[in-house]
Amino acid sequence: MSSRPAARRPTPPAADEPPRESSPTPNQPNSVQLGPRDRLIGQLYIEGDLRVGGVIEGEVEATGDVEIDDMANVKASLAGRDVSIHGHVNGAVVARKRLIVGRSGSLIGDVRVARLVIQDGASFSGKVSMGAGADKPVKAPEAPSAPVAPPKPEVQAVVEAVFEAPARVAEPTVVPPPVAKPAPGKPSITRLPATRVAVPPARPASKDGKGKTVPPKGKPKRR
Amino acid sequence: MESAPVETDGQTDAKRDGTKKFTLGPNDSLEGKLTYGGSMTVDGGHAEGEFRIGGNIEIGNGTVVKALLEASNVTIKGEVEGKLTARDKLTLGKSAKLNGDVQVKRLQIEDGATLNGYVRMGDFEQQAGS
Repeated sequence: MSSRPAARRPTPPAADEPPRESSPTPNQPNSVQLGPRDRLIGQLYIEGDLRVGGVIEGEVEATGDVEIDDMANVKASLAGRDVSIHGHVNGAVVARKRLIVGRSGSLIGDVRVARLVIQDGASFSGKVSMGAGADKPVKAPEAPSAPVAPPKPEVQAVVEAVFEAPARVAEPTVVPPPVAKPAPGKPSITRLPATRVAVPPARPASKDGKGKTVPPKGKPKRR
Repeated sequence: MESAPVETDGQTDAKRDGTKKFTLGPNDSLEGKLTYGGSMTVDGGHAEGEFRIGGNIEIGNGTVVKALLEASNVTIKGEVEGKLTARDKLTLGKSAKLNGDVQVKRLQIEDGATLNGYVRMGDFEQQAGS
């Protein structure tokens, strides 16, 4: 969909990004930084912190903190632990811990947070869900996201792909996250229904079987 | 601390800006519709209904208010349930709990405050259009 513009982009992010100096070790939480001239269109999942100074469109999820700088322009749903917004954000925000909208920040979108700080001067429009009502929904996503942890290699691949080969980013970034995210979640969900679903099909099958077997039984009786 | 802090009590405070002030204390209660040109303070009292205030509204710590509120500046430190319109600014203090949709020009929420509802922000002329 929106992968082409990203693919067209030259490779400045790879050249600019110093974070890869030390090869990212899977156990250490990494921090990803997109500068003011960087741009991401698609889905991003990161184990660690994310700092955005440029343009993002799509979907962003970080296990750590998300920071949107003054100059950033984000049209994406954001999810993170602590989320702080100082630039423009248009999209839903989920903060497992706290959302801060700074005085230079503007946010349009629905918000689900545990704690919320809006500084004077900030601009915000949307629905807010927090407190007792939001606690359960907020914690609920954490459970599914915990199993997300295992596929670290995939995640690392995504992050590296973003910096190493932005030209290829379009495909890898778009493809892996759906695989990584739903994979841990869906199996547990689908398995439950699967066992239940398996029963109903069995019944119609047996009905069909009876339906076919009944006539022969009936016919002899009639005749 | 600037001039003479000792003399500025609650009483002189009301006179200072020349506006009327409506205060509900811990033993006071109000149920119904109120349209009032001055400012309103609910501090520990019970208030329920519809309050359209020309000045500011302040809901003190530990106060529970169930009402439709409309005022220039609204400061909440207690609990409020109902639709709220702040022609200028809404401030939610650390201990504030607000349940209801909000229309404001400016918004400040301190850490610790709880808010559940839709927030609309912007000029009120545009509000009719959108």
